[in-house]
Amino acid sequence: MLTLDRKTETRNVADAQLAAGGGRIVELDGDADWREAEAEIAGAVRVDIRFPKFNDGRGFSLATQLRERAGYTGKLRAVGDLIPDQAQHLIRVGFDDVDPDRKGLEADWARARTRFAHAYQPGRGNVTPLFRHRHKRPEDDLAALNARYRDMTPQDILRDAIRNEWVGKVAIMSSFGAEAAVGLHMIAQIDPATPVIFLDTGRLFAQTEQYQRQLTEQLGLSNIRLLKPDAEEVASEDSDDRLWRRDPDACCALRKVRPLDEIIGDYDALITGRKRFHGGGRMSLPVVERINGRIRVNPLANWDAAAIEDYFQRFDLPRHPLTDMGYASIGCWTCTAPVQADGDIRSGRWLGQSKTECGIHTPAQVAAE
Amino acid sequence: MYKYDSYDHAMVADRIAEFRDQVERRLDGRLTEDQFKPLRLMNGVYLQLHAYMLRVAIPYGTFNSAQMRTLAGIARDYDRGYGHFTTRTNIQYNWPALVDIPDILDRLAAVEMHAIQTSGNCIRNVTADPFAGAAADELEDGRPWAEIVRQWSSFHPEFTFLPRKFKIAVNGAKADRAGIRVHDIGLQIVRNEAGTTGFEVWVGGGQGRTPRLAQLINPFLAPEDLLSYLTACLRVYNQHGRRDNLYKARIKILVEALGAEEYSRQVEDEWAVIRDGELKLPAEEIARIRSFFDQPKAVEPTPVPVTENRAFARWLDRNRRDHAVDGLSSLVISLKPIGGTPGDITDTQMDAVADLAERFGFDEIRATPDQNLILPHVRNEDIEAVWNGLVDAGLAVANAGLATDIVACPGLDYCNLANARSIPIAQAISSLLEEKGLSEKAGDVTIKIDGCINACGHHHVAHIGVLGVDKRGEEFYQITLGGAFGADAAIGSIIGKGLAGEDVPAAIARALETYLDIRADNERFIDTLRRVGSDAFKEAIYADA
Repeated sequence: MLTLDRKTETRNVADAQLAAGGGRIVELDGDADWREAEAEIAGAVRVDIRFPKFNDGRGFSLATQLRERAGYTGKLRAVGDLIPDQAQHLIRVGFDDVDPDRKGLEADWARARTRFAHAYQPGRGNVTPLFRHRHKRPEDDLAALNARYRDMTPQDILRDAIRNEWVGKVAIMSSFGAEAAVGLHMIAQIDPATPVIFLDTGRLFAQTEQYQRQLTEQLGLSNIRLLKPDAEEVASEDSDDRLWRRDPDACCALRKVRPLDEIIGDYDALITGRKRFHGGGRMSLPVVERINGRIRVNPLANWDAAAIEDYFQRFDLPRHPLTDMGYASIGCWTCTAPVQADGDIRSGRWLGQSKTECGIHTPAQVAAE
Repeated sequence: MYKYDSYDHAMVADRIAEFRDQVERRLDGRLTEDQFKPLRLMNGVYLQLHAYMLRVAIPYGTFNSAQMRTLAGIARDYDRGYGHFTTRTNIQYNWPALVDIPDILDRLAAVEMHAIQTSGNCIRNVTADPFAGAAADELEDGRPWAEIVRQWSSFHPEFTFLPRKFKIAVNGAKADRAGIRVHDIGLQIVRNEAGTTGFEVWVGGGQGRTPRLAQLINPFLAPEDLLSYLTACLRVYNQHGRRDNLYKARIKILVEALGAEEYSRQVEDEWAVIRDGELKLPAEEIARIRSFFDQPKAVEPTPVPVTENRAFARWLDRNRRDHAVDGLSSLVISLKPIGGTPGDITDTQMDAVADLAERFGFDEIRATPDQNLILPHVRNEDIEAVWNGLVDAGLAVANAGLATDIVACPGLDYCNLANARSIPIAQAISSLLEEKGLSEKAGDVTIKIDGCINACGHHHVAHIGVLGVDKRGEEFYQITLGGAFGADAAIGSIIGKGLAGEDVPAAIARALETYLDIRADNERFIDTLRRVGSDAFKEAIYADA
C-alpha cells in the first residue's frame, strides 16, 4: 500500500490553549501531503508535525516542503518519538521547536543542537553549505582560507593554490637560497610550468646563479621569470656601486622591491618560502596573508629546520654550495654573512644593522621608512 | 585523490565525538537499544553472529598507502590480523570490541577515513568504476562527482531516516564497471550533441529479494544540477517509499508501483522548485574537487614487458589492463587465492600493497566490486618489480576475471542474516576448478555466491550465481545462469531445485566443461549461454543428481 493518496489527517488542537494572540494551531502527521495541508495551515500561528517513530523520516521532507513550497513562515514544531540526535536535522529542515515524547533529556538536546559546526548541505539556521562556504573569496574572508589550510600539508596547500584557488594567477618567489629546493620540488610535482619569480639583483653570489641553473634543470622547472633592476635607475641611483653601504633600504628598493612591483599585477597570489622558525617578524607568520592588497601564501610557515632537512634527505635534493660554509640564509653577497654564533638562521643578513627584511614581503609604508 | 580540508576533518571529528556520546548514553540508558541500533549502524557498527563488526568506508574505492597501512594496523591491533574487502568497496573487521571502536575511528580519522553511513537506512558509500581515471575507454573520471555526492549525502538533514538503504554509483567509461543498472540511482556520464558532459540518471535498480534493473528517467542531467535533482529523487522516495514492509521498502518497489514515468513526473515537480536555488553547484567547487583527481603522466613511455617467465607472463595476461596514458598500466591484485576466502587480506599483505603503491603506483590503490584491489597507475618498467613484490606477499594470483575469481558474501560464517554458508562453497569451487585446469581454460566467467537473498555477493548478476537457502534446517544452493553486471546487465534465472553444498563444485565444473565442448571460436561463456540457451548447462549441472 502506497501512501500517495492517503488522506491528509489533520487535527485542530484547542485554540484556547494558546495564550498569546489566540491563533490557530494545526497538527499534521508526517505523511501529510503539503498541497492538501496548504489551505489548513494558512493563517495558523503554529504547525506541529508529528513523528510516529523517530526513524520515520517523512516529517523532515514535509517540513522542507512547507517552508520551500507552501511558503509557510509561522512557527513549526516537531512532536512525537524524537531523539536528541535529530536536533540539528530538525533545525536545518525548518523546525523552530521540538516537543519530544521522552522528557528529561534537555541537556542532551542542547548539546546535540551544536554538535556539527558545519554542514555539507544548504539548510535553515544560518547554514551555508560547505560547497559555497569554501569559496568565499579571500578578499572577503582571509580567515576562511586560513581555516581551510590549517590542517593541510604544504604540498596540499600548494596544490590547492595552483590547481584550484588561483589557477593561472599564482607564482612562487624564490631566492634559490639555502632552503629553496623544498618548495620548488613540491611545485615541480604539481605543475613544473608554474612561474618562478627570481630576483637577479646583480649582486648575487656566483654559487647562487649556478645553483639556480642546477635546480631548474633537475626539477624540470619550465617557467623561470628572471627580474633585473632597471638599468637606467641603477645608473642614476647607484653610479658608484656603493648604495648598499650608504642606504641598504634604498638598494633593496632599487634591486628587489621595484622590479617585483613591475610584474606583481600579473598575479593574484604569490607563494613564498618564509617560515616561522626564521625568527624576528616571521615568528607570527600566517599561512595566507595580504600584503599591499595582494595575497601571499606561505605553505611552509609551520615547518621547522628538522622538517626541511628531512625533506632534503627524503628526495635527495642538491644543496646550495654555500650551505657547507655556514650560510643558512642567502641574499646578495654584499649584505650576507654566515650565521652568527647564537644567532637565528637569518642572523647573517644585513649583519650589524637593525634591518631584517628586504621589503618585498612587508607593507609599502614600512618598506619606505 | 581527494584530500580533506579543515572542514572535512571537523565533520569527521564531530561525528566521532557524537558516537562516543551515543555509546555513553546507550550504556546509561538515555538511549534505548532500539534507538541506538540505527545510530550505530549509520557509523558502520553491526552486531554479527559472534561479535561486533565494523565496516569502514572507502569512498568510490580510492585510497592511498598511508590509509592502507592504517587499515593494516587496525587489523593487527584490534582484530585478528586480517580484514575483508566487500562488494561495496568497503573493508570489514569481524572481531573488534565495542569499547575499542571510538579509538579505531580516531585512527581512521587521522588518515581521512571513517565508517560514516556504511550501513543504516541512509545514503550509503558511493561507488564508481574501479578503473576511473585510468581506463582507456573513459569519457570522464566519475570520482569528482562521487566525492561531491559523498559530501552532499553525509549527515543529510532530510535523508538520514529513509524507508531503507540507498545506493548511488557513478560511471564515466563506455563500459559500465560500476553497475549503474543495479543501483538505487546510477549516474552514467554521457556527452550530448553540443559536446558537453552530463548524466544519464537511472533509477530503481537493485538486487536482493526482488532484483530489478534500473530505468532511465533522465537522458541528460546538466552537472551543475546534480544535487538538486538527486534531492528531488530522494524526497519523492522518502515520502512515498513503503515503510510498512521491510522487504518492499527499497526505491525499486516504488518506481515499479508508480511506473518510471509517474515517478519521474513527481521528481520533476519537486525539482522545478529547487533547481535554480542554493543547490546549484558553483563552478569553482566543481573545479576544486576535480583538481584532486589528476591522471599521472608517464615520463618516457616504455612498452609492456615481454617475459620468458611463465608465471609472470600468465599473471600479465590475466591481471594487467591497458591504461589511458601511454607507458602506464593498471594491475589487478587478486584477493582470490585458490581455496582461500574471497576478499580477505592479512595485515602484512596490506602493508606490502601499501609499499608497492607508494614506490611504484603513484600512491594510489583501488578496491573493486569484485573484492579485489587494483594499482591503477604503474609505469610499464616497474611492472616486474610490482609482480615480484606481490609474489613475496603471496598476492600474485593470476586469475583476475577467471572462474576462480569468485565473489562471495561472508555468509553464515559471520553474518546473522545468512541462511547458509558461502565462503566454504567458494573455497571448494575454486579448488576443484583449479585442480581440473578449468579456470584458465574457461576464460572470462563470473561466479558469485550469496548466503541469503539479500545478495551482498551479487549472485543475481553473475554468469553463474549460487544462492544458499535454508530448507528445514538444511543448507541448499540454487544455481542461477545468465546474469551480468555492466552495460549488458541482466538478472540471472534460477535453473531448478537446489543442490546440496558438496555437489555444487562438481556441478559448476560440468557446466564449464559443457561450455568448452560447445563454444564457438573465442566465444565467452556468457555469449555461448546466450546463443544456445540454458538447457545444455542445466543438464550438465543436474547430471549427477
